[in-house]
Amino acid sequence: MKLGMVIDLDRCIGCRTCVVACKGHNSQPPGTWWNRVFTPGSKEHQIPLAKDGEAQMYFLPVSCQMCENAPCEKVCPVGATYTDEQGRVLVDYERCIGCRYCMVACPYGVRQFNWEDARKAKEKAGYMPGYDYGYPFEHRDKRGRLVYTPDRPKGVVEKCTFCVQYTDQGDPPICVQACPARARFFGDLDDPRSEVSRLVRQRQALRLKEELGTKPKVFYLPPTGPRK
Amino acid sequence: MRKLNAAFVPGLVLLLVSLLTWGYQLKSGLIVTGMRNPFSWGLYIATFAFFVGIAAGGLIVSSSVYLFNLEQLKPFTRIASLSAFASIMAAAVIILPDLGRVDRIYNLLLHPNFRSPLIWDVIVVSAYTVLTFLSVYLQLLPDWKKEGRGFLNGWTRKLTQEEVESIAARWSRRVAVVGLPVAILIHTITALIFATQASRGWWYTAVLPPDFIAVAVASGTALVLVIALLITGKEEFGRYAGAFDTLARITAGALAVHFFFVAMDLLIHWWWGGPEALAVLSLVFNRYAPLYLVEIVLPAFVMIYFFTGKARRSPGNLLWGCFLLFTGVFAHRLMLMFPAFNQYPLSLSLPGMEVESWHYPVAIGGFKAGAPVFAGSWPYVPTLLEVAVDLLPFGLALLIITLMVGSYNFLPEKR
Repeated sequence: MKLGMVIDLDRCIGCRTCVVACKGHNSQPPGTWWNRVFTPGSKEHQIPLAKDGEAQMYFLPVSCQMCENAPCEKVCPVGATYTDEQGRVLVDYERCIGCRYCMVACPYGVRQFNWEDARKAKEKAGYMPGYDYGYPFEHRDKRGRLVYTPDRPKGVVEKCTFCVQYTDQGDPPICVQACPARARFFGDLDDPRSEVSRLVRQRQALRLKEELGTKPKVFYLPPTGPRK
Repeated sequence: MRKLNAAFVPGLVLLLVSLLTWGYQLKSGLIVTGMRNPFSWGLYIATFAFFVGIAAGGLIVSSSVYLFNLEQLKPFTRIASLSAFASIMAAAVIILPDLGRVDRIYNLLLHPNFRSPLIWDVIVVSAYTVLTFLSVYLQLLPDWKKEGRGFLNGWTRKLTQEEVESIAARWSRRVAVVGLPVAILIHTITALIFATQASRGWWYTAVLPPDFIAVAVASGTALVLVIALLITGKEEFGRYAGAFDTLARITAGALAVHFFFVAMDLLIHWWWGGPEALAVLSLVFNRYAPLYLVEIVLPAFVMIYFFTGKARRSPGNLLWGCFLLFTGVFAHRLMLMFPAFNQYPLSLSLPGMEVESWHYPVAIGGFKAGAPVFAGSWPYVPTLLEVAVDLLPFGLALLIITLMVGSYNFLPEKR
């Protein structure tokens, strides 16, 4: 099994619902965003940019690309970052030593560090005392490695997990579930009959920074209509 | 002879200040530094690279004496080994405050990932620490035997002075022979930590490891020169004039090689004219031009100055030259970071829809009312606290050197 995602940019309306759902469901501390949506080339999101005398605008959601040849996994000195049997690149919160080499190596800027204690950060940001959000339980892989916890330890690196706590139960990641435009597809890239495999095969599916040979498992269907 | 004793107190102060501030950082998290998600390595890693550099140089000097029969340098082999040992300890120790979870450092031993250049570095730096320690230890053994003191030398009690001397000489030679390749390796591998990363255009070049070695020979030799100058003092400078002359020439020559590599690197970045390469050069020559100027001008001046005989004959001039060189090399290490993190590695766009000079924003990793949460590039400046923590390796190296020089004889009489 090789879990993968396809994002149809013709359908993406740049609403950032996936960004917010991801932030909440995965208990990301203030200042941490696993999932981002921006308007390439534009200083501000949702502002078109002038190109060749015409207004142009498209939206690009970026979270962990789940590389098959993942530089973050290769540089990790202690094997805290690893690829599991379903192709998800995960971080073991209990093994990470916080050297941040993976953040240096990642060409997509998806890795985020816990620069301070998450509770303290929430307090500083002015959250109501005792307010917690997100999937409330710890989640461990089959070998007992801690790959999700709502209480983020200080000094470790984190990133998108394809919502390991949901995908382990057979549900799609929350960004896929939440997308109001149904722009995201999720499934097994090893299964030729899955929707994601079909889309990758039949449409002009592209990957970010293909030239680096990282072989992401997140594919993009470029916009086909006029970008106005 | 004992001028270095005066540096003991400053060394202790530096160490205490850094330990206290590190304690505060441990409590608060790395949020107290200037680093954030878009700029994840800063002053600490630059300082690490700086100390690895001068560490490699030290043993290169003392090994060359044995390997290439550089008789002139022979009086300075003890100093060179000591400088290498103190520097590698300093390099190793500055990694600790950079770790988010230093309490889990044992994972390096329990779960090493041998594909990671960081693990390669752990191995060679550890090996080098042992070798430089042995090198200092073996050279001091005969003295300790004669004076009936020292440590870890109970096994020599039953031996005669001659036996100890011959064992020390034989093993010193062996350590030197093994030490030279390891000295070159620590720098090669430290460079590989950076040079393997295709996501950072500023580092992704095969010239980085050889250039690290060139800088190491220059700055490592300079440190040996400085310590030797402080031990001999002006009075005895004349006696060792030949050795100082050779050290200064080695420094200048290594700098010439370094500048050759720098020129090749810049030329190859510029010639093809790809947008990402040009973006890196624009950072180097515009945004960070002042720092880059320090990196180029000071060592260039020192190189020319040390090639002239006048500088090499005056202890004061040599001392000043070396300090200018250290400043330049430190700027060089800082400049590893700025263009690497603030280039546009994230000019993420799809084929056929490229946009120029746009950086896909990264979440900073901290929230502050009124400040943006996402940034395309991060104007990293070390915080005051970060600078204070960064004194740790300087304090440690100073203490090791002053304690050892104060206790034992590092400048044996010529025979």
